[in-house]
Amino acid sequence: MLRVNLVSKHFGGLYAVNQVSFSVNEGEVIGLIGPNGAGKTTLLNLICGVYKADGGSIEFLGTDITGLPSNRVCRLGISRTYQIPQPFSAMTALTGVAVSVINGKRRPNMSLSDAALEASYYLEFVGLFAKRDTLARDLTLYELRMLELARALATTPKLLLIDEVMAGLNPAEASRALEMIWSAQEQFGFTILWIEHVMKIIMSAAQRIVVLQYGRKIAEGPPGEISSDPKIIEAYLGSRYAQGR
Amino acid sequence: MVTLEFRRDRVLLRWKDQKYEWVIEPRYWRNPAIGVGLLASLPLFVSAYPNILTMITTANLYAAITIPLGLQITGTARVNFGPQLYLGIGGYTAALMNLHLGTGPAVTLLGTILVCGGIALLLSPTTWIAKGLYFSLISLILPLTFLDITFIYGDIFRGEVGLVGMSPLFSLPKVNWNYIAYFYLSLGLMLFYLLVCDKIGRSRFGVSMAAINENEDVARMMGVPVDQYKVFFYVFPSILTGIVGWFIVHTFRTFAGVTYLPLDFMTKILIIVIVGGRAFLYGAIPGAYLISAVEDSLRMFGPINYVLFPLTLIALIVILPRGEGLWGLYHKRHHRDYYPVLHVRRD
Repeated sequence: MLRVNLVSKHFGGLYAVNQVSFSVNEGEVIGLIGPNGAGKTTLLNLICGVYKADGGSIEFLGTDITGLPSNRVCRLGISRTYQIPQPFSAMTALTGVAVSVINGKRRPNMSLSDAALEASYYLEFVGLFAKRDTLARDLTLYELRMLELARALATTPKLLLIDEVMAGLNPAEASRALEMIWSAQEQFGFTILWIEHVMKIIMSAAQRIVVLQYGRKIAEGPPGEISSDPKIIEAYLGSRYAQGR
Repeated sequence: MVTLEFRRDRVLLRWKDQKYEWVIEPRYWRNPAIGVGLLASLPLFVSAYPNILTMITTANLYAAITIPLGLQITGTARVNFGPQLYLGIGGYTAALMNLHLGTGPAVTLLGTILVCGGIALLLSPTTWIAKGLYFSLISLILPLTFLDITFIYGDIFRGEVGLVGMSPLFSLPKVNWNYIAYFYLSLGLMLFYLLVCDKIGRSRFGVSMAAINENEDVARMMGVPVDQYKVFFYVFPSILTGIVGWFIVHTFRTFAGVTYLPLDFMTKILIIVIVGGRAFLYGAIPGAYLISAVEDSLRMFGPINYVLFPLTLIALIVILPRGEGLWGLYHKRHHRDYYPVLHVRRD
């Protein structure tokens, strides 16, 4: 479905992503992990067209999407959520999701009221229907995360890029958010590329893990294999800890 | 096959797979109707005072410049400090065509639209390249550069004197009738702009425009073709502003860049936006009327009005709620609703 081939991105002299390659198959949940500054979010930004790659190529469903603008990538079927929620603060939750409904795919004849109806369906799905007329700036962090999920679902994605959805949530909220993601995947049948720092969650959720460090891919494999790999333990906890094990 | 469907609050017209709606419930159009009625009845009270008629005609034209500017600021997510550039381009195009080619107002209108549209299209990539202060600086410099050009090529633009003697839109037997007629024409132009801009704002394009204004990177990630929208929201309001220039040429029959292109004219327009309310297209009307009235009434104090006018404007900005302006006072009990406001109910 998605093929990332030797992709690189540098900012000045610093390589944020350095010749990374991996692929994502349809229906899979792929975890993307790595210490802070490893280049995970940059890689996501490269896939969804926020940044242009300095080298390599990205292919989605047989189409080369390297360098395509985000709006075209979105219409091809890639959507994302943000590490720090990026709501349209002065818009109501309903209007924010309606933007995705109208623009997520080509719907030239859809009226605004029809878009509002469809948007309300996604809000209902993530449990925010009662907050549909609330301005996004007045929502809690959990509600903002759900609003982002609703906004992403409204574009009818084939591949959903999730960027640290659990950050800042308490255990109860994190568990509800996890259930919501599974429920959405079951209902809408999309593939997930998931960046996560909460190891317990990503190790149980993902079928395959890609590990980045200093912009390079250092490992790829099933969660069980990855969690016992000394290179990964060293990357996360330091060489002294890895030697002591 | 066209079908009409009457509902409690609206009429629906369906044609093929298209759907058009007109809201007919009185609560939606009562206040605008009262507002238009009040503005239209103004000449009844001031018809004997040509200076007041000229003032309110000018206020209508200020509002007609400010309304598209509001749309442009929202749709491009950038503050344009030089909307008067297109006023100048439109005005000079109409005047030069009329004087040198002998074309009538209909042809000069077409010329104005084409020239303003073409130049705006050429300059529209600045909305992609320049952000924030950089865009504002570029837009600030352009009209001043054009002003310099009108002096450098004085044989064409007639520099400080400007172009005079353009043909009027019409000429009535009594001078006072002309004042009244031009007031109604300017009112019609302003209301037409308000209707068009409001309609765009309340459409699906308005929702996407509001998203661009909030965060263009996120809007782009949600599929909004931001670059195309920005070109449209730069070019279309620029054409509308150019048409105001055309209107001035054929109404006042004189056009000098030195009147419309300098910084003080731009400041007046931006203050109308702030006094009227930044996010409200309707705010342009009370804002324009207030600023025109203040400007006109301070003239009686002689040269000191050049100091009093800016001081009054600063006072207005300080006193009125920030960003909300006069229209914000009217909407005080409501949250700052983005247009369009969407509502759904669970059946």
